[in-house]
Amino acid sequence: MISSQAFTIAARVIQQLVRDRRTLALILIVPLVVMTLIGLSFPEGSVLDYIAPALLATLALFFSFLLAGISFLRERSQGTMERLMVSPVSRGDIVVGYLFGFFTFALTQTLIILLFTIYVLDVHYYGDLWQIFIFQIVVITGAVNLGIFTSTFARNEFQMVQFIPLIILPQVFLCGVLWPVEQMPDYLQWLSAILPLTYAVDGLRDIMLGGESLIDVGVELAILAGFAVLISTLAALTLRRGAAD
Amino acid sequence: MPRGISFGLLGPNGAGKTTLIRLLVGLLRPGAGTIRILGQRPSRKMARLIGYMPQSHSLYAELSVIQNVDFFARIYRLTDKAERARRVEEAIRLVDMWTRRNDAVQKLSGGMKQRVSLACAIVHNPPLLFLDEPTVGLDPELRVTFWKYFTGLTKQGATLIISSHTMDDAVHCGYLAFMRDGKVIARGSPGDLKQATGSPEATLEDAFLHFVRQGAAE
Repeated sequence: MISSQAFTIAARVIQQLVRDRRTLALILIVPLVVMTLIGLSFPEGSVLDYIAPALLATLALFFSFLLAGISFLRERSQGTMERLMVSPVSRGDIVVGYLFGFFTFALTQTLIILLFTIYVLDVHYYGDLWQIFIFQIVVITGAVNLGIFTSTFARNEFQMVQFIPLIILPQVFLCGVLWPVEQMPDYLQWLSAILPLTYAVDGLRDIMLGGESLIDVGVELAILAGFAVLISTLAALTLRRGAAD
Repeated sequence: MPRGISFGLLGPNGAGKTTLIRLLVGLLRPGAGTIRILGQRPSRKMARLIGYMPQSHSLYAELSVIQNVDFFARIYRLTDKAERARRVEEAIRLVDMWTRRNDAVQKLSGGMKQRVSLACAIVHNPPLLFLDEPTVGLDPELRVTFWKYFTGLTKQGATLIISSHTMDDAVHCGYLAFMRDGKVIARGSPGDLKQATGSPEATLEDAFLHFVRQGAAE
């Protein structure tokens, strides 16, 4: 259950972003620009059809990670985390509050990207739209938590940005986005098996290209959900009361 | 330590004032020894009894004054809507920011942000307040205004622990601790500390230097 404290934090996160009009506009426009460019760059529709599910998963991971990571970092750099740490609010509530706050925006972005991909870029897909969307929700939950967790290791925005090439980029190459995982050497296949994007890409392809249902991709869903729970627990644990500096 | 007074932690930069305050509010854990606040160890249970104003403004820049104060009121579990609205207004009025309540914090001057920061720390009416260099960077006029706020709070029964490196603040305190190099070198009422120098016209500044010299001699 979401506690009232967590709800207060979530409401504030939303309030903050809504009042920051430029950031809000960027959150909504950037995914559209990116998807348009990607869509135009594919010469053949069939290639795009194959790549699209992986792209949906990758962009959801990338945008959610970045948004949550930077905002959570600002909470510490502007000193408000210190106030929260002294207050009666629990670490779990802080993480859950942030998760729900960003989740709203990450979900909006994902929905924009998904609808744009299907209706404007005209990507062919099987499976149900709502099932694709539910699957993406699980992907985003993990990504937002990953952003929060990672930001506890960065002391400023500059350091946080360095985590993108370290955490996001390798997953793009190792998780079957561009070529099948099976074509990589054994040791890289092992590595891909512990990266969440592998399961996100697998699951979405199975739904969108294979016409499978959420139950068919249950294993992938379970692994992604497990990842989200694990990483949010770690995020709460790394938020020590003394970790404010 | 007596209640209902301003307790000044005085000392130069790097004396350990901030570290001591952060230990007391539970942001840092002591390497050795124990800390007792209001007779208890610092814990989340007693967090509602404590107010904390960090050295930096520590506010949400995009949000308005009232949104900031209201957020902390909610965080401190002022769940009753009418009661919360009353406390939020009281806190903002106390720091004379009510007319600017709808302005975004990022548009305010440094001194105004400092006042909002104080409002956030007192909104839940804590009996014990830790203020880390609350007057640093304020012009003399505003410093006097801040002391007016502080005196108002102690009159209501709150105990204030205020760190500062200027003796302008020390004169307002009911009780003082001089700090240097991580140690408390002297403590007592301003009168006692001045008397210890042996000179009747001694200022608090003289007293501080007296104890520093005494420490060096030992």
